[in-house]
Amino acid sequence: MLLEAHRKDFSVFSGVSHPNVDGGHPADVCFLTAAPHPGSSSFRNTVSLDQHIAEQIGTLTRFPSLTLSVNTRTRSLSWTGTGVAIPPEDKAAEVFKQLFLQGSPEQVKAQLRQLDNGRSILDTIAGQARELQRGVTARDRDRLDQYFTSVRDLENRLQASRGWETRPKPVVHAPMPVDPANPAAYMEKVKIMYDLARLSFETDSTRAITLMLDSVSTPAPDIPDATISDGYHNLSHHGKSDKKRSELKTLDEWHMKLLAKLISDLKAVREAEDTLLDRTMVLYGSNFGDANAHTCFNMPTLLAGGGFKHGQHHAFSTANNYPLPNLYVSMLQRMGIESDKFASSTGTMRGLELA
Amino acid sequence: MSPPLAVLAALAALAPLRAALPPAILDYTDRYCSSCHNDEDKKGRLDLTSLTPDLAAGTDFESWVKVHDRLGAGEMPPKEKKRPDPAETAAFLAALRDSLITRDRDLVAREGRATQRRLNGYEYENALRDLLSAPWLQIRGQFPDDGESNRFNKIGDALDVSHVHMARYLAAANYAIREVLAANFARPPATTVRHHARDQRTLTSKFTPNPFNTSPDRLTYPLLLREPQRAVRMLEEPFTVGAKDPATRDLEAIGWVSSNYVTGFTYRWDGFRAPVAGKYRIRFNGYTMWAAPGGATKSFANGTDTVGKLRPPNLKTPDYDKLSPGRTTEPIAVYTRNGLLNRRVGEFDLTPEPTVHDIGEVWLLANETLVPDASRLYRSRPNDFVNPLMTPDGAPGVAFRWMEVEGPLTDDTTAAGYRLLFGDLPLKKVAPDALGIALSVVLPGDRREGGRNAGQRVEALEQVRVDVVSADPKRDAERLLRTFIARAYRRPVTGADVQRFVALVHGRLGAGSSFIEAMASGYTAVLASPGFVFLDEAPGRLDDYALATRLSLFLWNSPPDDALRARAAKGELGRPEVLRAETERLLADAKSQRFREAFLDYWVDLRKIEDSTPSTTLYNDYYLDDALVEAAVAETRLTFAEMIRADLPVRGIVDADFTYLNERLATHYGIPGVQGVAMRRVALPPDSPRGGFMTQASVLKLTANGTTTSPVLRGKWIVERILGIDIPPPPPVAAVEPDIRGAITIREQLAKHSNDASCASCHSKMDPPGFALESFDVMGAWRDRYRAADETKTPAPGRGKNGHAFAFHHALPVDAAGELPDGRPFQNVKEFKRLVLQDEVALTRNLARQLTVYATGAPVHFSDREEIERIVAAAKSHNYGVRSLIHVLVQSDLFLRK
Repeated sequence: MLLEAHRKDFSVFSGVSHPNVDGGHPADVCFLTAAPHPGSSSFRNTVSLDQHIAEQIGTLTRFPSLTLSVNTRTRSLSWTGTGVAIPPEDKAAEVFKQLFLQGSPEQVKAQLRQLDNGRSILDTIAGQARELQRGVTARDRDRLDQYFTSVRDLENRLQASRGWETRPKPVVHAPMPVDPANPAAYMEKVKIMYDLARLSFETDSTRAITLMLDSVSTPAPDIPDATISDGYHNLSHHGKSDKKRSELKTLDEWHMKLLAKLISDLKAVREAEDTLLDRTMVLYGSNFGDANAHTCFNMPTLLAGGGFKHGQHHAFSTANNYPLPNLYVSMLQRMGIESDKFASSTGTMRGLELA
Repeated sequence: MSPPLAVLAALAALAPLRAALPPAILDYTDRYCSSCHNDEDKKGRLDLTSLTPDLAAGTDFESWVKVHDRLGAGEMPPKEKKRPDPAETAAFLAALRDSLITRDRDLVAREGRATQRRLNGYEYENALRDLLSAPWLQIRGQFPDDGESNRFNKIGDALDVSHVHMARYLAAANYAIREVLAANFARPPATTVRHHARDQRTLTSKFTPNPFNTSPDRLTYPLLLREPQRAVRMLEEPFTVGAKDPATRDLEAIGWVSSNYVTGFTYRWDGFRAPVAGKYRIRFNGYTMWAAPGGATKSFANGTDTVGKLRPPNLKTPDYDKLSPGRTTEPIAVYTRNGLLNRRVGEFDLTPEPTVHDIGEVWLLANETLVPDASRLYRSRPNDFVNPLMTPDGAPGVAFRWMEVEGPLTDDTTAAGYRLLFGDLPLKKVAPDALGIALSVVLPGDRREGGRNAGQRVEALEQVRVDVVSADPKRDAERLLRTFIARAYRRPVTGADVQRFVALVHGRLGAGSSFIEAMASGYTAVLASPGFVFLDEAPGRLDDYALATRLSLFLWNSPPDDALRARAAKGELGRPEVLRAETERLLADAKSQRFREAFLDYWVDLRKIEDSTPSTTLYNDYYLDDALVEAAVAETRLTFAEMIRADLPVRGIVDADFTYLNERLATHYGIPGVQGVAMRRVALPPDSPRGGFMTQASVLKLTANGTTTSPVLRGKWIVERILGIDIPPPPPVAAVEPDIRGAITIREQLAKHSNDASCASCHSKMDPPGFALESFDVMGAWRDRYRAADETKTPAPGRGKNGHAFAFHHALPVDAAGELPDGRPFQNVKEFKRLVLQDEVALTRNLARQLTVYATGAPVHFSDREEIERIVAAAKSHNYGVRSLIHVLVQSDLFLRK
């Protein structure tokens, strides 16, 4: 068992899914949003878990979030609260530059001007709010006061962002990653992205990262000592063929091997009395429960790290799925974000406790 | 003289005492109520001994109201307990009522009925659209959902503001300004362009099977009028003869037999991108076709196999070499694509004769294109799908020759937004690294790629940087801001307010911003300022500006237009006949559609129509049936519109002799003789259970969960929304799990509701209406038996809209009988409706209350009840007509005061 060494570091969930998220392939962009009916003609996506986190605590780090991918530049897991997809970065080298190489003086100046713009606007409207509060009754004043507090709150956040612009970026001794040109170098690309994610967390450059591992556009992946005879998408439509299932198993085992390495690497970094793994939640899954049948219920889901009590299989009803957004509520609360709801959640994840 | 002073002082001291309940009230409750409602027993979760008699404290006011209402309705004491002397109870109720009204009136006099509130998401979006003359702006989805109170998003206590909202206000204003600028930047002149189907790579790339799509069902085919073009289909000849042979080109078409299906494939016109946000006139040329059975699927060895092997002919798939004229009329719905919010913009019926269909003028955003969806055709889903419309003779399909786009159309509102922002100052492009604002625009040029997924990728917008040229920035800034604020704010602006924003813009200019950026900051600040975002109402009688805003937010869901503002400026709105005339004008205007839709979205919860999905096991005949859901929503909206337009009586909410249908919905309801995709008024057969809101497919879908129906939820919906009775939440009890294997009905599982007295106190009100509606399934179709899923039983014959065979069978029969709390029985929904219709006053009172909350942004207070009764009584002389009811409400003190 490839993840045997980390048995106590992760939990798996079965019988979970996003309520009303159907449709097959289009549901990939709903993995972190749980927005219903991605296949419908008038679908609009909602805010993804990482963007919600970014909106709440993003100013604590230089980058509120990072959106990454392997083999796609169009399908994204990250969606803003205004319904816009954040195009993923599929070149680790580009991301490395943004994280660790200093920006040009012009770039910094442009960013600062933007932030100052925002702060001036907020200052102006706070002034009007303060004046209006004087002339109204007690109950009404309370509403204006809430507005005023929100303005000040956002001002503080912009101030924090401004601080990042003038601070030097962290120094790292890791070499710049080299992105393979060939999309068949799939597993290598996955490994490079995992390394980048770990480095980003290690330098506290961000606290929310999404990584879309495409399979639809991926040709037969290059696997040492194995021959994969078909494109990734075709393999997952195995139609019960033994040959396809065996090749799929090889790919899945590679995924687990890489995941195990990510967990080891996170564990190897110490942060005060914890390891980086204790302070990082790794959520791993797929929008498909049965890719062969294109169904989106019974999503296979794994959660590692985060200081939870792990080593368990949380088995929910496969006939009547438990809402996966409940896991997201637990994750938000673990991040210290006050939330009792996310998308179609009904509460926190039953059975998932802190260690 | 001292004595009068002393007397005066004593009287003044008496006044606040009236806000406390007189001792006689507490005597009564101690004697007759506290034996159950005390701190130990707490029957019904009510402890009367702990309620404060000081109504001014506010905390227990609602509990005392409940005491008043339950006792007044005779629901308390419980039937088996000793009843107090009726005269004593009457005195108690009168005294309690007097205290409650006094306290309430006091509060209202001080604070008004309504709490200060911000514009909700709908109103804010309309405000920006109207202000900038840009009806295509998509604002509402940029904000978090509004909170609800008393079931609407119009009450200040629930309309919160957080730092998230503030960030979104800044972003939305920035977006709106940039959109208006982009719509006016390099705006091309109107052209009429014919986009041939054979030039669309999305469509031509689907001629040949590939490892992703092996079945003809998921392919398209070329034809010349009705003749198959095998050589083109086999890629042996070019896709089109092109411009050199116009006669032949005119006959070229592409056809298909399934509708847009879920792997993300849609039959879209990828060669067209709206160059700029604006109005376009769209026409399609198409016709229906018929394909014989006997096509063949291909099998592929692996993902790199480009040739594949043809399997033997299959009678379940169409043969695109054997075509014949269409035998059906197919409904086509047209949707936008490529944008943030794809939406339906038109529909038509495709006939066997090639015809040009004009869907009229539609608003498109830059980069959007269009998709014609043949909504009756199936939406195949792996694995093992078979076209449910395939017959031994063949299958129906559609074919399109071209889509013609005329536009962008221009009228005097096109540049109005830009003129408001920058007047006559020109917009100019600047270098990518210069100061200015980046706009996202469509630059001309065809950058489409080929290959298997050709046309699927949405081309990105290009960035251009612009600035506005001003010879005198500071003076121009002040001039433009003054005009902008005067239009944006809903009452005359003070000099100080203008200076506030001028100072901001001058400050940005001083800090080195470009003119356009500085102005954008100023405008953003105005649009995010409390003066724009919040209403401005002072306790007592509303002044004309506040009244104009309230009237416009009520009937248009947006700020007042120039005509209404002029009335307010002249101080005329205080005159009843002017107010009445303006009410009529607003109701008659097309913008009142915003009111009707927003009101229904919350009163009837119509906005939640997509919150459930029909189960693919039990209801795959409803799989992705957008046309059905859209028709259902349209039925509700059109019915409500007609009730207002023709001043139809409120009782039409419960039952009516007409409804609005198109062919899809009529088929769903089993009503014959309705053809075509257009919604039209239909007289219902006398024995029809339809008519009224309760039996509309939209409401029946909303009150179900896609798999099962719950009499409790449906009953509660009716009782609360139509009859106006509020049901408190249940005590913690284990939920009932419906048995979808079909061994026991939900009615049998809910037996305890009627057997247990404490359950029955609420459920005797809720469940019976719900039982009446058990005759309707999760999508509102009539059913005599429940569907169930049990692999040991033989499934019903047939296939669903996803191409999969039915997995359900028809199980236990439906029993829709019940009785009202007063014992009157009914056998079915028709009899139930007849019973409910008997109390027109209750129905009108409920609608009046709902409209009051919506229109005034405040719940119905205890002291408002008298006024509501006056409104209902006044409505009686107009036969309880809905339009008249609205007029009476607008003329009442509830509407005219804060």
